[in-house]
Amino acid sequence: MHNKKRLEMIIEKPALKRASRVLEEAGVKGYTVFPAMGGYGGNMRWQRGTDLSASRDMVMIISILDETVVTKAIDALENLVGAHIGVLSLSDVEVLRPEKF
Amino acid sequence: MSADLILSTILSPIVLFFVLGLVASLLRSQMTVPEAFAKGLAIYLMMAIGIKGGVEMSKTAITPDILLIALAALVLSFATPFLSYMILRVTSKMSRIDAAATAGHYGSISIVTFVAATQALELAGILTSGYMVAMAALMEVPAIMSALLLARRGMKKSGEVAGSEKGELFREVFLNASVVVLVGALVIGWVTGERGMEKIAPFFVTPFQGVLCLFLLDMGLNAGRGLRQGWRQLDVGALSFGISMPLISAAIATLICWSMGLSIGDAALLITLAASASYIAVPAAMRLALPKAQPSIYLTLSLGVTFPFNLTVGIPLYIILAQWVGG
Repeated sequence: MHNKKRLEMIIEKPALKRASRVLEEAGVKGYTVFPAMGGYGGNMRWQRGTDLSASRDMVMIISILDETVVTKAIDALENLVGAHIGVLSLSDVEVLRPEKF
Repeated sequence: MSADLILSTILSPIVLFFVLGLVASLLRSQMTVPEAFAKGLAIYLMMAIGIKGGVEMSKTAITPDILLIALAALVLSFATPFLSYMILRVTSKMSRIDAAATAGHYGSISIVTFVAATQALELAGILTSGYMVAMAALMEVPAIMSALLLARRGMKKSGEVAGSEKGELFREVFLNASVVVLVGALVIGWVTGERGMEKIAPFFVTPFQGVLCLFLLDMGLNAGRGLRQGWRQLDVGALSFGISMPLISAAIATLICWSMGLSIGDAALLITLAASASYIAVPAAMRLALPKAQPSIYLTLSLGVTFPFNLTVGIPLYIILAQWVGG
């Protein structure tokens, strides 16, 4: 087994393209985007699809990546979640095929 | 006449379905309209209103008077956020950036309020011009520019948000779904005219009212949900702004309509456009341009307060104002 980092970012949908660009420019080999159904934060509940602009919708981005990519992307990601509504976490994971990440 | 108009507008199926959705949502009913279906309904309605407007436009030439109304519409959209911003800063505790983002919503328009007003006018037998749809499209964008000017005034130039791309805001502002569908359908209606309309009327004309009822049921659910989730973010000043700003904008637009000698129907629509607040085009643009502004404030206000007010009380009132000044 090989050690990698797992990035989990929940961010407002309008910022998804910005997040994607940051990850791609840092050299990430892949990521997956999930729609978030709802949640609680900032002292209020939120729910997907409550307005036509979809500007209150949130998405979750998951990526397994190499530590070198994390180092390259971390400043930009911090800037992104600092400006937009969102949270980011990194954790250690083990993978079978390191060349995929 | 006025009492009849108010009653017939409030008791129309579209308003009653909206109220049903609003009440159901406030009572925490689990009823929902599937998200993709609701988006499909929105596209259908924008296409239908755009095509109808385009067909009507094809029957008349563009006169200097129409260009003058277009200029007035642009000025209204651009100037209203400045007034809204001043009122918000004085009457509410909103930060500069929240006030600017909210002000942008009140300069732009709500196409659903516009559609509801055209239906109320049709019900009252008052004629309107097709080019008013073009005015609606014109008024979507300038307010966004004003909001950006207000938000960035006096602010230190901060760096770009990571991942930003040149032209992304332009695309969001000018190529958002409502502008593309509305303007595109308007041009298609204009080019194909009455003959084109004959072929698609069974889809775009006959079921229109029923589809509008479905859509407004969903809007009621959304407005109620937004209000339930976001009302704590609004202070008394902000809440009263949600009701008073449409009336102030309507009063200004009434004076403009009077000075230009607009017909009753067109005046009612221009007043409605001025009094309405955006909840489709502007929120999306604000998330990109002013991400620090809180969507729970501006969306709750425009969708949860101003939209229900305009749909139930505002539209009959704006028609009455138009009857006073309309030629």
